[in-house]
Amino acid sequence: MAITMTENQLTWTDRPRVQVLADRCAGCQECVIRCPVGALDMDAGRWVAVADSERCVGCRQCVRTCPFSAIVVTGPALAGSRASTEVVHPEPLVANVEEVRRGLGSWEEALAEAQRCLSCPDPTCVRGCPAHNDIPGFIAAVVDRDLAKAHEILRRTSVLPDVCSRVCNQAAQCEGACTWSLAGEAPVAIGQLERFVADTMAPPPPEPGAAVDLSVGVVGAGPGGIGAAWALLEGGASVTVYERDPVPGGLLGWGIPDFTLPDAVAARPWRQLQDAGVELRCGVEIDAAGLEGLLASHDAVVVATGASVPVRLPIPGADLEGVTDATSFLKTARAALETDDGAPAWRSAMGLEGAAGGGRPPHVLVLGAGNTAMDVARTALRLGLAATCVDWLDERFSLARPDELAEARDEGVVVRFARTVTRIEGDGQRVRRAQLAKTRQERADRLPAVLHGEGAETVDVDLVVMAMGYRVDPAVAAGLPGTPVRREAHGVPDRRWTASGVLANPASAFAFHNPVGKLALGREVGLQAASFPVRERIWVVGDSLVGPATVVEAMAQGRRAASALLAARPSRPDHKRPARARRALVCYASEGGRTAQVARTVGDELTDKGLSVRVLPIERVGPDELASADVLVVGSWVKGFVVAKVGPAPAVRAWLDGLPRLGGMPVALFCTYGVDPRSTLAQMAVAFERRGARVVATAELRRGGNKVAAIAFARRALAGARELEAAPPEPLAVR
Amino acid sequence: MAVDLQDRKSIAPSDQLSAAVRLRAPKREGLEERFAATDPAPGLELTANPRFARLVRNRKFQFLLILPNQIVFWTVIFVGILGTAIPGLNFGAAITWYVWFCLVFVMMVVVGRAWCAMCPFGGFAEWVQRRTFWRRTQKALGLGRKFPEPLARLGFLIPVVSFVVLTWIEEFFNIAGPGNPADTSWMVVGIVSSALIFFLVFERRTFCRYVCPLSTLIGTVGSMGSVAGFRTKDHEVCLSCRTKDCMRGGEQGFGCPWYTWPGSADSNLSCGLCSECYKSCPEGNVGLFLQRPLTSVVAPRRRRADVAWGIAILWGLVVFQQFNATNVYATVDNWLNRNLLVPHYPNPVDYVGLIALVALLMAGVAWLVSRSLGRGDVAVTHTDSFVDRTSRFRAFFVPMAYGLIPVVGADYFARQLPKFFKHSARVVPAVAHIAGFMSTSSSIYGFHILSNSWIVVVQVAVIVAGTAAAAWATWRIAGRELVPVSHNALGVRLATLGVVLSCGAAASVLYVLMHAAS
Repeated sequence: MAITMTENQLTWTDRPRVQVLADRCAGCQECVIRCPVGALDMDAGRWVAVADSERCVGCRQCVRTCPFSAIVVTGPALAGSRASTEVVHPEPLVANVEEVRRGLGSWEEALAEAQRCLSCPDPTCVRGCPAHNDIPGFIAAVVDRDLAKAHEILRRTSVLPDVCSRVCNQAAQCEGACTWSLAGEAPVAIGQLERFVADTMAPPPPEPGAAVDLSVGVVGAGPGGIGAAWALLEGGASVTVYERDPVPGGLLGWGIPDFTLPDAVAARPWRQLQDAGVELRCGVEIDAAGLEGLLASHDAVVVATGASVPVRLPIPGADLEGVTDATSFLKTARAALETDDGAPAWRSAMGLEGAAGGGRPPHVLVLGAGNTAMDVARTALRLGLAATCVDWLDERFSLARPDELAEARDEGVVVRFARTVTRIEGDGQRVRRAQLAKTRQERADRLPAVLHGEGAETVDVDLVVMAMGYRVDPAVAAGLPGTPVRREAHGVPDRRWTASGVLANPASAFAFHNPVGKLALGREVGLQAASFPVRERIWVVGDSLVGPATVVEAMAQGRRAASALLAARPSRPDHKRPARARRALVCYASEGGRTAQVARTVGDELTDKGLSVRVLPIERVGPDELASADVLVVGSWVKGFVVAKVGPAPAVRAWLDGLPRLGGMPVALFCTYGVDPRSTLAQMAVAFERRGARVVATAELRRGGNKVAAIAFARRALAGARELEAAPPEPLAVR
Repeated sequence: MAVDLQDRKSIAPSDQLSAAVRLRAPKREGLEERFAATDPAPGLELTANPRFARLVRNRKFQFLLILPNQIVFWTVIFVGILGTAIPGLNFGAAITWYVWFCLVFVMMVVVGRAWCAMCPFGGFAEWVQRRTFWRRTQKALGLGRKFPEPLARLGFLIPVVSFVVLTWIEEFFNIAGPGNPADTSWMVVGIVSSALIFFLVFERRTFCRYVCPLSTLIGTVGSMGSVAGFRTKDHEVCLSCRTKDCMRGGEQGFGCPWYTWPGSADSNLSCGLCSECYKSCPEGNVGLFLQRPLTSVVAPRRRRADVAWGIAILWGLVVFQQFNATNVYATVDNWLNRNLLVPHYPNPVDYVGLIALVALLMAGVAWLVSRSLGRGDVAVTHTDSFVDRTSRFRAFFVPMAYGLIPVVGADYFARQLPKFFKHSARVVPAVAHIAGFMSTSSSIYGFHILSNSWIVVVQVAVIVAGTAAAAWATWRIAGRELVPVSHNALGVRLATLGVVLSCGAAASVLYVLMHAAS
C-alpha cells in the first residue's frame, strides 16, 4: 500500500475501489447498514446499492456481508500501521521475572492506534471476543481520553481487563476477528488498548448490589470463580468462595508465570472482591459429598474447579525420579523465583545442582510445545536450566501462540517439532536420557504418526517435565452431568453471526488453522451452556464445563452463570421464599397454524395465572430464550403416515438435537394430531429427560379439539412446575 | 460513525453482544412509491390457505414437483438411445418435441417460471450439489465458486446466447424435427451434464440464472404470467430483518438459489418458485402471490438492458425460425453453404446474421424514435453496469422491448403449435411401444388434432392475442416511461404502438407464408 504522509494529512496514492454488481444486488442493504464509513447508499429508483469509492477504506466488510456476493472491492485496504510494542528479554535471564511484553508507551501511541478502529456498526471483533467486550465502544472512549468511560464499558462484560489484555491470544479472538484482520491487514491492537486502559487507570472495584435473599457458594477461585463471584456480588447475592489452594486465583496464580502476568495484576481481582465483601475460604477442598453439603447451606452452587490434572505421557521411565508435570514444576518454580536465591536452592532441591557436569547448565526436556510448555521452558531458563521442548505436532500445526513461540526461542529455548519421546532412561532411579523419535503429520486435523526407527536419537536430560496440557479431574466431571461440553457449533450457524461476516474468513495459522469465526462460534456454545444448571441449583463454568480453555472464557462463563442464577433465584428446600411470578416460554412447531393456536391458548392461560409468558415458534428459541425461562412448554404437530415414522415435527427434532442441558427445568409437552400421535410425546420426553429436564405435564390434542383441553393442559403444566419447585432435588449421581 | 455510549449496565450478559451492534438505519426513502405498483394485493396470497401453506412449507414440495419430470427425462434419455429410430414412435423424441416444449410455453404464459421449479436438469444437479433430495443440508458438494464477475455483469444475455447456440445445434442436426431420437437423448445428456458441472463448480443455481438456454426465454415470457412469485408481505419487516435467512438460508430453507430477495422483487423475472425463501423466513413474512396478467411486464420501475437485448435477440431467433421456411431463405442459405463449405442448413452466417439483423432493426427503430421524439435532456448515467446504464437510446429501447414481450411469447408459442396439433397424439403409441405394443400403423399414430389450415388460423389468432396484449402493455409503458422523456406524448405512444403492431403483423404474415411454403 502506498501511503504518503504530509503534515497532518494522509494522501492515498492508490485507493480502494468498490463496485456493486447491479445484476445481482437485491437491494437488501446488508452492506449499507454495516459499512463502517458510509461508502454505500441506496439508489431508490433501481433499488440497488450504490458505492462511493472516495469514502471506501477497503475493509471489505460489505464483501463479507453481502448475501449474494454482489460487491467487489479492489485495491488496497487503508488500514494504516499498527502500533508495535516492545518485547524485552532481560539480561541475565536467571532469576529475573520482570514482565516481558510491554504495553503502549504513551497517550499518543494509544490514540494513534485507537484511531485505526473503524467503529464497525456490526463489530466482528466483539463476536471474536469470548466475553463480547464492546470493543468499538471502549476504543471510542480512549479516543475521547475518557478512561473512566472505557472502564465502565469494559466492566459490562469483563472484570479482568488487566489480566485478559496480557494473557489472551488476541490473534485467535478479538484481533483475529477485527475487520482489518479479516481483510488481510494488521488488526487494531485491541489487547494493547485494553491493557493501556487497565494500566493507566486501575480497574474499578465491584459495586455490591442491593442485597437479595440469595446465598451462593462458588467452588474454585480461578477466573471462572472470579467472574461468577463478581457478578453475584453486584447482583446483591451473598457469596462464599471455596478454594483448594492456600491462595486464590487458581491458574492465574500458579499457572501463568510472572514474566507474562505479574503477581500484582493477578492478585488485584481477589483483593477487590474480598474488600467488597466476598467471603473467601482457602484450603478447602470440595468433593462430591462436600458439594451436597454446599447445596444444603446455599441456595445455589457454582462449580469453577477448572482443569487442573496434568496430562502425562504413559511411556517407559515416566515414573523415574526427575520426571515431573507442569503443575508441580510451575508451582515449585514460582515459589523459588519469589526470592533472590531461590533458583540455586530449587536446583539443589531437585537434585540438579552440578548434575550435568562439565559446567553446562542442567538440561530440562519439556514434553509438548504448546503454551503451557512454553511457560515451563521459559521458567526453566529463569531457574538457570537449559530447556528443550519436543512436540509431536508438525510446526505448521502447532498449538502454541506464534508470539510466545518466537519469544521462547529468542530467550534460548530449543523447540523441536515433529519429535516425540518414546522412552525415558535413568541411572538407577534418576532420569538421565530420553529417546526421541520422529513423527509425521500431514494435516492439522490428523494426529501425527510416530516413525519408529527413522531418525531416532538419544538426548541427555537432567529433568523431564510433561507439559502437554491439563484435563478435568474425572472424579469432578463424574458428578457434573453433561460435562464437559464440546465447544463445537452444530447445525445452521446463528444467522446474526453469518450476517456480520465473521464466518466469511479463511482459516489462518494464528487461529490454529481454524477460521476465527468458527472458533468464536464454538466458544459461544460453552458460553451458552454456562447459562443452564447441570442439575438443580448447580451451575458449572470454566474449564470444569468445557475442558481446558482460556481465562477470558472462564470469566465470561462465570458471569453468564451468575446472571442466569440471579434471574432464576433458586432456593434450598429449607429456605422457601414466597411464591413469585415465574417466566414461561411456550414454543411450538406449527405447519397449518393449529399447533400455534394451541400454544397461544396455553400462553394466554399461563398469563392469566400471573406468569410472564413468551410464545415463540421453535426456530426462534435459542439458548438465550431458554435461559430466561423457568417453565418450558413445547408443542409440535405430529409427523408421519398414520402408523409409520410417526413422531414430532422435523423442526422439533432438529431443535432437540441442539438443546443444551436444562438441569431440572420443568417442561410440559403437547402435540396436535390428526389420526394417532403414537409415541410422539414419549420421544420428546426422552430427549428432554436426557438433558436433565423434568417433564411435568403432557397432552395429546386432536386437531380441531376444543380450547378447554388446552387450558386444562396449561393448568396441569403450572401445577406440575410448582410441585417440582417444592420437591427435594434428586441426589447427585457419582460414578 | 458516532458511537452511542449510552449506559447499558442493565443489559443482561446474554444481550451484551447485541448491545455492541450499532447498525446504520436502512434507507426507506421512496420505498412505498418504488413498490406500490408491483406489490401484489394481500388478497391474492395463495399461501394464506393453510392447506396450501402446509404443502409449500413441506421440504418435499419441490422434490415432488421435480420427481415426475426426472422420471420422464431419464426415460427420454434411455428410450431415445435404446429405442426405435422412428421419431414419432420413440417416446424420447415424441414427448420432448410434440408435447413438452408446448406445455412449457403454456406454463410460462400462465405461471412464469413454473418449469424452473420442476426442471429435472437443474433439479438433478441441485440434488447432487445439496447432497440430498429434499432435506436442508449444511455442506454443499462442489467448489461453491461465484460466477465470474465480468460474465455476471451481462445478466440475462448469456442464457440468450446459449439458447441461440443450442437452437442452431438443434436445427443443424435436425434434433427437434424430430430427427434421430438418439440425438434428442444426447442433447438432454448434454444439458444435464452441463448443469451438473456448473452446479458442482459454482454456488446456488448459477447455471439456471446465468447459463441455462431457457432462462431468459422463460423469465421474459413468464413475466406475462399471473403468478407474482414469492414476495414479501410487509417491506418493513424485511428491512428490519437482521439475518436475511431468505438470502443466506435458515433452519428450514436454503438461501434463494436464484439471487432474488423477496423484499425487493418487483417482478417474477427471477423467482424460480422453489419456495426456499418461504420456508426459511423466520418471520413468516414471505408468501406466494398471484397477480394480474402482464403485471411483471408493465409495472416494474427498474428496466434492465440485458433483458431488453435478450428480448430483441429472442425476437430475432423466432423470426429466423419462421423465415427459414421461405424460398428466399433457402436460396440464400444454399448459396452461403456452397461458398463457406458448410455441409447443410442452417449456415451460421445467415443464422446469426438474420437474428442480429432483426435485433438491430428493433434497436434501430428505437433509436429513430428516441432521436425524433425524445427530449435532449434525458438523464444519462455512466456506470460500470451494463444492466443499468442509461442513455437517450436506452431510455426508449429498453421500455419498448419490454412492451414487445407478449408478441415474442405468442410467436414462440405459435411456433410450437403445429407439432402439438399434428403429432401430440403419437405420444400414446410411443408410450405403448416401450412395452412392445402399437406401431406406426396404429390409427392414433396418424391422428391430427387440427388440420394444417386450422393450425395457421390458430397461430394467427395467438399472434393477434399476443399483439393485443403487447399493444396494451406498450401503451401503458409508453405513457408512464416514454412520455416523460419525449416532447410529443401522443406521438411517442402511437409510434411505439405502431412498432408492436408491425411486429405482430410481420409474425402473422410469416406464418401464412410458412404455411404456403409447406
